[in-house]
Amino acid sequence: MKTRDFYVIGFGVLLVFDTLMQVSVKLASKQAGAFAMKLEWLLNVLHNPWLYGAAAGYLGAFVVWMTLLKRAPIGPAFAASHMGLIPVMAISVIYFGEHLSAMQVIGVLCITLGIVALSLSEAKNEVKHEV
Amino acid sequence: MNVVVDTAGHMALKHAAIGEYGSEWQRWGEMLSSWPLWIGIICFCLEFVLWLMLLSMLPLSTGVLLTAFNTVAIMIAGRIIFHELLDPLRIIGIGLITLGVILVGSYA
Repeated sequence: MKTRDFYVIGFGVLLVFDTLMQVSVKLASKQAGAFAMKLEWLLNVLHNPWLYGAAAGYLGAFVVWMTLLKRAPIGPAFAASHMGLIPVMAISVIYFGEHLSAMQVIGVLCITLGIVALSLSEAKNEVKHEV
Repeated sequence: MNVVVDTAGHMALKHAAIGEYGSEWQRWGEMLSSWPLWIGIICFCLEFVLWLMLLSMLPLSTGVLLTAFNTVAIMIAGRIIFHELLDPLRIIGIGLITLGVILVGSYA
Protein backbone atom coordinates (compact mmCIF):
# COMPACT_ATOMS: atom_id res chain seq x y z
CA MET A 1 0.00 0.00 0.00
CA LYS A 2 1.23 3.48 -0.79
CA THR A 3 2.35 5.44 2.25
CA ARG A 4 -0.07 8.23 1.48
CA ASP A 5 -3.08 5.87 1.39
CA PHE A 6 -1.80 4.11 4.49
CA TYR A 7 -1.75 7.41 6.41
CA VAL A 8 -5.08 8.65 5.10
CA ILE A 9 -6.88 5.39 5.95
CA GLY A 10 -4.97 4.91 9.22
CA PHE A 11 -5.59 8.38 10.63
CA GLY A 12 -9.16 8.29 9.31
CA VAL A 13 -9.96 5.09 11.20
CA LEU A 14 -8.09 6.39 14.26
CA LEU A 15 -10.31 9.48 14.17
CA VAL A 16 -13.45 7.32 14.16
CA PHE A 17 -12.31 5.22 17.14
CA ASP A 18 -11.12 8.30 19.06
CA THR A 19 -14.42 10.06 18.53
CA LEU A 20 -16.40 6.94 19.49
CA MET A 21 -14.36 6.70 22.67
CA GLN A 22 -14.74 10.36 23.70
CA VAL A 23 -18.46 10.54 22.93
CA SER A 24 -19.10 7.22 24.70
CA VAL A 25 -17.27 8.37 27.81
CA LYS A 26 -19.29 11.58 27.80
CA LEU A 27 -22.62 9.73 27.41
CA ALA A 28 -21.69 7.07 29.95
CA SER A 29 -20.73 9.66 32.57
CA LYS A 30 -23.83 11.72 31.84
CA GLN A 31 -26.08 8.73 32.44
CA ALA A 32 -24.16 7.50 35.45
CA GLY A 33 -25.12 10.49 37.56
CA ALA A 34 -22.98 11.99 40.28
CA PHE A 35 -20.06 9.89 41.47
CA ALA A 36 -20.67 8.04 44.73
CA MET A 37 -18.55 5.52 46.61
CA LYS A 38 -21.37 3.02 46.36
CA LEU A 39 -21.74 -0.37 44.74
CA GLU A 40 -24.98 0.82 43.17
CA TRP A 41 -23.19 3.55 41.29
CA LEU A 42 -20.57 1.12 40.00
CA LEU A 43 -23.19 -1.42 38.92
CA ASN A 44 -25.13 1.32 37.23
CA VAL A 45 -22.02 2.31 35.27
CA LEU A 46 -21.20 -1.30 34.39
CA HIS A 47 -24.69 -1.74 32.96
CA ASN A 48 -24.31 1.25 30.73
CA PRO A 49 -23.82 0.24 27.07
CA TRP A 50 -21.78 3.40 26.43
CA LEU A 51 -19.07 2.11 28.74
CA TYR A 52 -18.53 -0.71 26.27
CA GLY A 53 -18.61 1.75 23.41
CA ALA A 54 -15.77 3.56 25.16
CA ALA A 55 -13.84 0.32 25.69
CA ALA A 56 -14.27 -0.61 22.02
CA GLY A 57 -13.07 2.85 21.04
CA TYR A 58 -9.94 2.54 23.20
CA LEU A 59 -9.13 -0.93 21.93
CA GLY A 60 -9.74 -0.03 18.30
CA ALA A 61 -7.64 3.12 18.59
CA PHE A 62 -4.81 1.11 20.15
CA VAL A 63 -4.78 -1.45 17.31
CA VAL A 64 -4.87 1.28 14.66
CA TRP A 65 -2.17 3.31 16.45
CA MET A 66 0.20 0.33 16.65
CA THR A 67 -0.40 -0.32 12.96
CA LEU A 68 0.26 3.32 12.05
CA LEU A 69 3.51 3.38 14.03
CA LYS A 70 4.92 0.69 11.76
CA ARG A 71 5.65 3.45 9.29
CA ALA A 72 4.73 6.76 10.86
CA PRO A 73 7.38 8.77 12.72
CA ILE A 74 6.23 9.15 16.32
CA GLY A 75 6.80 12.93 16.65
CA PRO A 76 4.52 14.15 13.86
CA ALA A 77 2.15 11.19 14.28
CA PHE A 78 1.49 12.03 17.93
CA ALA A 79 0.82 15.64 17.04
CA ALA A 80 -1.47 14.56 14.20
CA SER A 81 -3.45 12.29 16.52
CA HIS A 82 -4.77 15.47 18.17
CA MET A 83 -6.99 16.01 15.15
CA GLY A 84 -9.48 13.82 17.01
CA LEU A 85 -10.36 17.04 18.85
CA ILE A 86 -12.04 18.40 15.74
CA PRO A 87 -14.88 15.84 15.32
CA VAL A 88 -15.29 15.67 19.10
CA MET A 89 -15.78 19.44 19.27
CA ALA A 90 -18.16 19.38 16.33
CA ILE A 91 -20.27 16.71 18.05
CA SER A 92 -20.17 18.54 21.39
CA VAL A 93 -21.57 21.65 19.71
CA ILE A 94 -24.18 19.86 17.57
CA TYR A 95 -25.44 17.16 19.94
CA PHE A 96 -24.54 18.35 23.41
CA GLY A 97 -25.26 22.03 22.72
CA GLU A 98 -21.92 23.18 24.10
CA HIS A 99 -20.74 26.66 23.35
CA LEU A 100 -17.57 27.27 21.34
CA SER A 101 -15.58 30.42 22.06
CA ALA A 102 -13.85 32.40 19.33
CA MET A 103 -10.44 31.33 20.67
CA GLN A 104 -11.47 27.69 20.40
CA VAL A 105 -12.46 28.17 16.78
CA ILE A 106 -9.02 29.70 16.16
CA GLY A 107 -7.54 26.68 17.96
CA VAL A 108 -9.37 24.28 15.64
CA LEU A 109 -8.08 26.28 12.67
CA CYS A 110 -4.51 26.04 14.00
CA ILE A 111 -4.82 22.26 14.40
CA THR A 112 -6.17 21.97 10.85
CA LEU A 113 -3.32 24.09 9.46
CA GLY A 114 -0.84 21.98 11.42
CA ILE A 115 -2.21 18.79 9.87
CA VAL A 116 -1.92 20.39 6.43
CA ALA A 117 1.72 21.31 7.13
CA LEU A 118 2.51 17.75 8.27
CA SER A 119 0.84 16.29 5.16
CA LEU A 120 2.84 18.63 2.93
CA SER A 121 6.03 17.53 4.67
CA GLU A 122 5.12 13.86 4.14
CA ALA A 123 4.31 14.46 0.47
CA LYS A 124 7.65 16.19 -0.01
CA ASN A 125 9.65 13.51 1.80
CA GLU A 126 7.94 10.65 0.02
CA VAL A 127 9.31 11.88 -3.28
CA LYS A 128 12.84 12.04 -1.91
CA HIS A 129 13.03 9.04 0.38
CA GLU A 130 11.05 7.15 2.97
CA VAL A 131 11.63 8.25 6.54
CA MET B 1 6.82 13.47 35.98
CA ASN B 2 3.81 13.26 33.76
CA VAL B 3 5.77 14.38 30.70
CA VAL B 4 8.53 11.85 31.37
CA VAL B 5 6.11 8.97 31.83
CA ASP B 6 4.07 9.90 28.76
CA THR B 7 7.13 10.25 26.56
CA ALA B 8 8.57 6.97 27.80
CA GLY B 9 5.26 5.26 27.10
CA HIS B 10 5.12 6.51 23.55
CA MET B 11 8.72 5.58 22.86
CA ALA B 12 8.08 2.06 24.14
CA LEU B 13 5.05 1.63 21.90
CA LYS B 14 6.94 2.94 18.90
CA HIS B 15 9.75 0.57 19.69
CA ALA B 16 7.32 -2.35 19.87
CA ALA B 17 5.66 -1.32 16.62
CA ILE B 18 8.76 -1.21 14.45
CA GLY B 19 10.20 -4.63 15.24
CA GLU B 20 10.74 -7.12 12.44
CA TYR B 21 7.87 -9.54 12.26
CA GLY B 22 6.72 -12.14 9.75
CA SER B 23 3.03 -11.80 9.04
CA GLU B 24 0.61 -9.28 10.55
CA TRP B 25 -0.80 -11.94 12.91
CA GLN B 26 2.66 -12.96 14.00
CA ARG B 27 3.41 -9.29 14.55
CA TRP B 28 0.54 -8.90 17.02
CA GLY B 29 1.42 -12.13 18.79
CA GLU B 30 5.02 -11.10 19.26
CA MET B 31 4.20 -7.53 20.18
CA LEU B 32 1.80 -8.67 22.88
CA SER B 33 4.48 -10.86 24.38
CA SER B 34 7.25 -8.27 24.11
CA TRP B 35 8.28 -6.12 27.03
CA PRO B 36 8.28 -2.66 25.39
CA LEU B 37 4.57 -2.92 24.69
CA TRP B 38 3.79 -3.65 28.33
CA ILE B 39 6.14 -0.97 29.57
CA GLY B 40 4.19 1.37 27.31
CA ILE B 41 0.85 0.23 28.68
CA ILE B 42 2.05 0.49 32.29
CA CYS B 43 3.37 3.99 31.55
CA PHE B 44 -0.06 5.05 30.31
CA CYS B 45 -1.79 3.63 33.39
CA LEU B 46 0.65 5.49 35.59
CA GLU B 47 0.17 8.61 33.54
CA PHE B 48 -3.58 8.38 34.01
CA VAL B 49 -3.17 8.37 37.80
CA LEU B 50 -0.69 11.28 37.65
CA TRP B 51 -3.09 13.19 35.43
CA LEU B 52 -5.94 12.75 37.92
CA MET B 53 -3.65 13.89 40.75
CA LEU B 54 -2.59 16.93 38.77
CA LEU B 55 -6.16 17.90 37.89
CA SER B 56 -7.12 17.78 41.54
CA MET B 57 -4.49 20.46 42.18
CA LEU B 58 -4.66 22.59 39.03
CA PRO B 59 -7.49 23.81 36.79
CA LEU B 60 -7.87 21.93 33.50
CA SER B 61 -6.80 24.94 31.44
CA THR B 62 -3.39 24.82 33.13
CA GLY B 63 -3.28 21.05 32.80
CA VAL B 64 -3.76 21.35 29.06
CA LEU B 65 -0.43 23.18 28.84
CA LEU B 66 1.14 19.91 29.88
CA THR B 67 -0.17 18.28 26.72
CA ALA B 68 1.84 20.86 24.83
CA PHE B 69 5.00 19.84 26.67
CA ASN B 70 4.22 16.19 25.92
CA THR B 71 3.92 16.86 22.20
CA VAL B 72 7.22 18.72 22.06
CA ALA B 73 8.97 16.13 24.27
CA ILE B 74 7.78 13.29 22.01
CA MET B 75 8.94 15.19 18.94
CA ILE B 76 12.42 15.62 20.42
CA ALA B 77 12.62 12.07 21.75
CA GLY B 78 11.57 10.68 18.35
CA ARG B 79 14.32 12.74 16.78
CA ILE B 80 16.96 11.48 19.21
CA ILE B 81 15.94 7.83 19.61
CA PHE B 82 14.54 6.98 16.19
CA HIS B 83 16.47 9.60 14.17
CA GLU B 84 13.30 11.00 12.75
CA LEU B 85 13.58 13.75 10.22
CA LEU B 86 12.56 17.19 11.50
CA ASP B 87 12.18 19.53 8.56
CA PRO B 88 10.76 23.06 8.97
CA LEU B 89 7.33 21.94 7.72
CA ARG B 90 7.13 19.25 10.38
CA ILE B 91 8.16 21.65 13.13
CA ILE B 92 5.63 24.22 11.94
CA GLY B 93 2.94 21.54 11.73
CA ILE B 94 3.62 20.18 15.21
CA GLY B 95 3.84 23.75 16.58
CA LEU B 96 0.50 24.76 15.05
CA ILE B 97 -1.27 21.66 16.36
CA THR B 98 0.16 22.24 19.83
CA LEU B 99 -0.94 25.88 19.76
CA GLY B 100 -4.39 24.78 18.60
CA VAL B 101 -4.72 22.27 21.43
CA ILE B 102 -3.73 24.94 23.98
CA LEU B 103 -6.25 27.42 22.56
CA VAL B 104 -9.05 24.84 22.54
CA GLY B 105 -8.25 23.73 26.08
CA SER B 106 -7.57 27.10 27.69
CA TYR B 107 -10.64 28.93 26.44
CA ALA B 108 -13.24 26.27 27.11
